Amino acid sequence: MHIVVCVKQVPDTTEVKVNPETGTLIREGVPSVINPFDQFAIEEGLRLRDKVGGEVTVISMGPPQAKAVIQLGLALGADRGILLTDRAFAGADTLSTAYTLAKAIQKLGKVDLVLCGMQAVDGDTAQVGPGLASTLKIPQITYAETVDVTEGKVRARRTIEDYNEVVETRLPALCTMTTPSNFVPTDPPFSKIQKAKKKPYEEWTANTIGADPEKLGLKGSPTWVKKVYAAQTKEKAIIIKGSADETVAKLVEILKKEHFL
Amino acid sequence: MEEWFFTEEQQMYRESLRKHLAKLITAKVVEHMEETREIPKETIKGMADFELSCPLVSEEYGGAGIDLVTAGIIGEEIGRADPTGSTAVYFLVPAAWSRMIFLYGTKKAKEELLPQMTKGTIWCGIATTEADTGSDLGSMKTTISPKDGGYLVKGAKTYISGVREASTMGGGHVTLARQTLDKGVRGCTLFYMPLKDTPGIKIFQDREMGREGISTGGFHIDDVKIPKHYLIGEENKGFYIVHEGYEAARGIIACVCSGAALKALENAIAYVTERKAFGQPLARYQGIQFPLAEHWSRMMMVRDWAYKSLRIMQQEKEKKATRFESSQAIAMAKLWAPLWAFDAINFAMQVQGAYGYSLECTEQKSLRAIRSFGWAEGTSEVMRLIIARELLGKDHKGY
Repeated sequence: MHIVVCVKQVPDTTEVKVNPETGTLIREGVPSVINPFDQFAIEEGLRLRDKVGGEVTVISMGPPQAKAVIQLGLALGADRGILLTDRAFAGADTLSTAYTLAKAIQKLGKVDLVLCGMQAVDGDTAQVGPGLASTLKIPQITYAETVDVTEGKVRARRTIEDYNEVVETRLPALCTMTTPSNFVPTDPPFSKIQKAKKKPYEEWTANTIGADPEKLGLKGSPTWVKKVYAAQTKEKAIIIKGSADETVAKLVEILKKEHFL
Repeated sequence: MEEWFFTEEQQMYRESLRKHLAKLITAKVVEHMEETREIPKETIKGMADFELSCPLVSEEYGGAGIDLVTAGIIGEEIGRADPTGSTAVYFLVPAAWSRMIFLYGTKKAKEELLPQMTKGTIWCGIATTEADTGSDLGSMKTTISPKDGGYLVKGAKTYISGVREASTMGGGHVTLARQTLDKGVRGCTLFYMPLKDTPGIKIFQDREMGREGISTGGFHIDDVKIPKHYLIGEENKGFYIVHEGYEAARGIIACVCSGAALKALENAIAYVTERKAFGQPLARYQGIQFPLAEHWSRMMMVRDWAYKSLRIMQQEKEKKATRFESSQAIAMAKLWAPLWAFDAINFAMQVQGAYGYSLECTEQKSLRAIRSFGWAEGTSEVMRLIIARELLGKDHKGY
């Protein structure tokens, strides 16, 4: 079985600060990490590979420093890593990103299952996975917490707000992964990082994947980010006075009014 | 910022290690170590599972086969992660001294001991210090003599790390004793001394002001029989190789001190940027900024030198540096790292005012831990002698 996991390098959002004068995000000096949902996707892909046999390819579109997330994937246990890196890809929105990833996956040949993190924590659009499935013309299951494969099908448990559901579809398919609350990301020890050095790693450009330049990067993006700023929160405190029964009743009333209940 | 000194793999490993240690050595684990004076078994297992047990030993014996610079990275990160210094000692002492068995031990000893050491199931420490002898190894009273195809050892060792660990979980100490008594250091032999269930060994423990999770104590050696295959190197030549164990430990200690001090300074920065006095954050006062700048500069410089010294020691093995270049470089790192780290951590305590003196404050834990490195694995005074010896030549030795 050939499993492809799409990963992204993102700023460590716990370190991003807001410029108090402009209200925009300060990205300089912020360390980069693997998108947390993508690490779960890798680990789930590896678990599946170890269960049914096959190989896992980790793929990412990004600048040269995104090699680090591919190396992490290889250190975690993936068999092959590909970084799609080219100035032509810069400025891509989710549509163009999905197109680029699709071209690369098509170049890989037979692929049974594509796994993606459900969304990237910098953009938070959750569009690339579904866009990729659509471009590849394969079925998709989103917000999967766990996946399993049997006899040409993939079965996933999806976590929706108040309930879970189990969904099944034929392979090849794509699943976007959400992380379970008890997920603890694996940290590779030294020996695995050393072994990763010897695994196949390639850097592919727009030419390598035979992409249409009109569909790449900013040129191929019908949407673009106009502005990023921190939301202004107006602090409002309400002090509820009275006995326990009175304050609870008033609190419930406020919560209903504010649509929290 | 990419660090020019490290390979991509080492930088990646540092990130992975830092995250892992944050999960392994939590505030609760620190509290446990302080209250029980033991490292939790799960933490020890976690360290072994992450290949932190005797990692300088090759893969042939189950070790990670890392180089000395990578061992320094582990030292620095554990120095950051554990303010008590207990797990730092638990890592660096077995790392440095199992390497001696790996480099100079007999095949039989290596096959018997190293797979257990790399799994973290038995201890490996160092025992040279005695009640009346620290730096002056030639005056040791513990003796070793050939007997019945093996050796007989008599004496006592003290201020030894891991005596409880070795006597309960198993393992022992790379030990130095005098064999040819009229030859001083030239008549010393290095060997492995098991502690657990060894007839004639009686251990005792001390209570120290820091490093609570790792035991310190000693053992009386009453006509203890040692098998021939526990010899390390050659008879009477122990002094010539024991320095390698010390120097690996010293280089790693310099990295531990750097990690602990830089972490303490980061904590101090977080504090002074929040805490206000007379209408503004403490961080705005030059009385805070000037010493902060000085401590940070010193620690960053000694940190870099610590890694460089480990690289030089690695190069010595590759015949690209001499023993003396290596000894001097390591001595420079070991001289200044503990001294400057102590001052830096003391400053970090001071800026936190009364809180810095409370047992809750991590900086006071670090201060108590780091103080031990002024003499552990070689005193600051001996480091000065080594540096001066290499500058002035043997004709002007200060000892």
